Amino acid sequence: MLPFNNGFASPLWHNGPIPGGLYNFPGHNGPASQPKKDYGVQRASQPITTGTSVVGLKFDGGVVIAADNLVSYGSMARFQDVQRVFNINNKTVVGAGGDFADFQCIKRYIDQKIIDDMCYADEYEMKPKSLYNWLTRILYTKRSKFEPLWVDIVVGGVEDGVPFLGHVDLRGRSYQDDVIATGFGKHLALPLLRERTETGKPIGRDEAIALVKKCMEVLFYRDCRASPNFTISVCTKEKAEILGPFKVSQNWELAKSVEGY
Amino acid sequence: MISAENFPEYNVPGVVKHDFHPYESNGGSVVAIAGDDYAVIAADTRLSSGYSIHTRKQNKLFKLSGTTVLGSTGCWCDTLALTSLISARMKMYHYLHQKVMPTNAISQMLSIIMYHKRFFPYYVSNILAGLDADGKGVVYSYDPIGHCELASYRAGGSAGALLQPVLDNQIGLKNQENVAKDPIPKEKAISVIVDTFISAAERDIYTGDGVIINVITKDGIETRNVSLRKD
Amino acid sequence: MSILAYNGGCVVAMRGKDCVAIATDHRFGVQGQTIDTNFQKVFQINPQMFLGLVGLQTDILTVKDRLAFRKNLYEVRENREMTPERFAAMLSSFLYERRFGPYFVEPVVAGLDPKTSKPFICNMDLIGCPNAPDDFVVAGTCAEQLYGMCETLWKPDLEPEQLFEVIAQSMINAFDRDAISGWGATVYIIEKDKITVKTLKTRMD
Repeated sequence: MLPFNNGFASPLWHNGPIPGGLYNFPGHNGPASQPKKDYGVQRASQPITTGTSVVGLKFDGGVVIAADNLVSYGSMARFQDVQRVFNINNKTVVGAGGDFADFQCIKRYIDQKIIDDMCYADEYEMKPKSLYNWLTRILYTKRSKFEPLWVDIVVGGVEDGVPFLGHVDLRGRSYQDDVIATGFGKHLALPLLRERTETGKPIGRDEAIALVKKCMEVLFYRDCRASPNFTISVCTKEKAEILGPFKVSQNWELAKSVEGY
Repeated sequence: MISAENFPEYNVPGVVKHDFHPYESNGGSVVAIAGDDYAVIAADTRLSSGYSIHTRKQNKLFKLSGTTVLGSTGCWCDTLALTSLISARMKMYHYLHQKVMPTNAISQMLSIIMYHKRFFPYYVSNILAGLDADGKGVVYSYDPIGHCELASYRAGGSAGALLQPVLDNQIGLKNQENVAKDPIPKEKAISVIVDTFISAAERDIYTGDGVIINVITKDGIETRNVSLRKD
Repeated sequence: MSILAYNGGCVVAMRGKDCVAIATDHRFGVQGQTIDTNFQKVFQINPQMFLGLVGLQTDILTVKDRLAFRKNLYEVRENREMTPERFAAMLSSFLYERRFGPYFVEPVVAGLDPKTSKPFICNMDLIGCPNAPDDFVVAGTCAEQLYGMCETLWKPDLEPEQLFEVIAQSMINAFDRDAISGWGATVYIIEKDKITVKTLKTRMD
C-alpha cells in the first residue's frame, strides 16, 4: 500500500485498486500470485492457431476493418470459414489477428461485459476508446506476467460522432492512426492505404470499402497464410454492420507472364 | 508432452525459461532545454519497431500539470503504463493535498516509480521538463531504473547520443573560446532543438516524421509542430 | 564488448572547398584504463593523402605497415604516385582478403588527387565495404556523437579555416561524450599547396 496512512486518516484508496499494481485476468481480484514450482515454469508462449493480417481504415464519418476468414494451424489452412471481424455494439468493432484462441478468450469477457451493461438498462454502451484502453491494460498485464495473449487487435468505431481506429498488440503496445494494418498487411496493405490517406482528401464510405477490398486482394496473392474469403466491418455513427463474406476474384493469368525465377 | 518439467534432473533449480520477449524498442528521441523563465521539451512523432513504422503522428510528450511535461520513449507499452500510473498518482496527490504537484515533487515521484520496478524495469528513457517553484526552467533526466539527474539541457532516446554533444556545444557553449555565456533566449533554444532533430532524422532511422515542441512558460504550455523527413 | 571498442578512439574526415580535413584523438587505452595520451591514429601515406585507423591498436599498426608496403610496391612498379581513390580501393581489397578473420580496424582515407587536386574522403568497415560520400565520414567509439555533430555543423564549400573550426568542434564535442576517446586531438587540413597540422588541447578526463 501507499504510505498515506499516517495513523490518523484512513488510507485514501481503501479497498480500491493500487495504481500500477498487477491484477489477475480473467476473473479474480486481489494481487497477482504465481504458482510456486520447484523447477521453474514452462509456458506455451507461442501462437498455435493463428489469423493473419487485419486491415483498418478511417473514412469520412466512420471506420472500416477487414480480415480474411482463415484461421491457420501452422502452415495448414485449418479453419476456413471463421469470421475475424466483429461488431461489439453499434459503435464499436474489432478485428483479430494472432492466436485466435487467445482472442476468443478475450472476446468472451467482452461479450459478458456487454450483457452486464445491458442489464443495467441505463443506455450505457461500451465505447471504442474504453474497449481499446481496456485491451491495452489487459494485454500489458499479461505480458508483464510472461503469459502473453498472443494477439494483434484492431479496434474501430465512432465515439461522439468522431471515427476511432486503434491497434493493440500482445505486449499492450497501442497507438491510434488513420490507417492500421497488422501482420503481413503492415508490409503489403499499409503502403496502399497510406498512399491514399496522405493525399489529405476526404475518403467516402464506398471508396474506403473499395480500398480495403483491394488490400485484401493484394494480401491474398502474396501472403501464403491468407485466404480469398474475407469479411468487412463498417462502422458509422448510425450503425455498425458486417459486410460479406466476399471472395477475391482470382486471376492467375498473370502467373504466365512472370518470368525469371 | 516433452517439457522441462518431465526431466527434472536436467533442470537447474530456480531457472525460468522464457522465449517471449516482453520488451520491444519503439524508438523516438526527446530533447529538453531549461531557461531562466521557460523550459522547452520536444519529441519526434515516429513510432516504430525494427524496419516498420507503426504511426507517423505519435505524441510522446505527456502534460502532467500546467508547468510540467514528461517526454518518454523506448518500449512504448511501458511508456503507456508508466504515464497512466503517473497521472493516477498525480490525481491522488491533488485530492490529498488540494494542490497540483510541483515539478520537483513529480521528478522525485518518477524516480521512485521507476525504481519500484528495479528488477523488471520500465524500458524507457524519460526526460522531464518544467518550471520550478520560482518559475525557473528545470530539466530532469532518468535512466530506465530511476536514476534522476537535474540538468539544464538533455537529449535522450534513440538519437540521444547524436543530439547530446550538439547541445553541449550550442547550449552549454562547451569548447568555445571568447563567447559570452549569456542566458539562452527562448527562440534560440527552440531553433537549436529543431536543428538537432533535423540532423538526427538524417542518421537515425528511429527518429523522423515530425517534432512536437512544448514551450512551458508561466503563461502556460504552447505546442508547436515541425515536420521532419519521413524516410 | 566489441573488440573494435577495446582500445577506444575516433577519427573523422570532412570535405571542404578544394580541401579536405582529417582529425584524430590522442587516446590509447585498454578498456577503461588509459595507457597513452599521445597515440595518433592518422598517418601520412603520401604528400597529400592521410589514412586514419581506429579499432584494435595492434591491428592499426599492422594494417598501416602492410598498406604502406603495398603502396610502395605499387609506386615503384608504376613509377607514379598513388591517388586516394586507388589507395582506398587497395585498402578495401586488402581488408576483404581477411573476410572471415578480419583486422579489427575501421579505416578513413582523406586526401587530394596528386594531379587534379580533387578532394576525396572515404571510410569503410572492417571487411572493406567502402563509402565515399561528398560531405564527411566518421569512425570510432563515438561515431554516433560524431554523426550528430557533423550533421549539424557541416555545410558545403567550407573554406580551409572554416573547415578547421567545423571539424575541431565536431571532434571535441563528440569525444567529450565518450569515455574512451579524447585526451587531445590533431587536425590535418590538406590543401593544394600546403598541409596545416593543428594540435588541440582538450579536457583530459
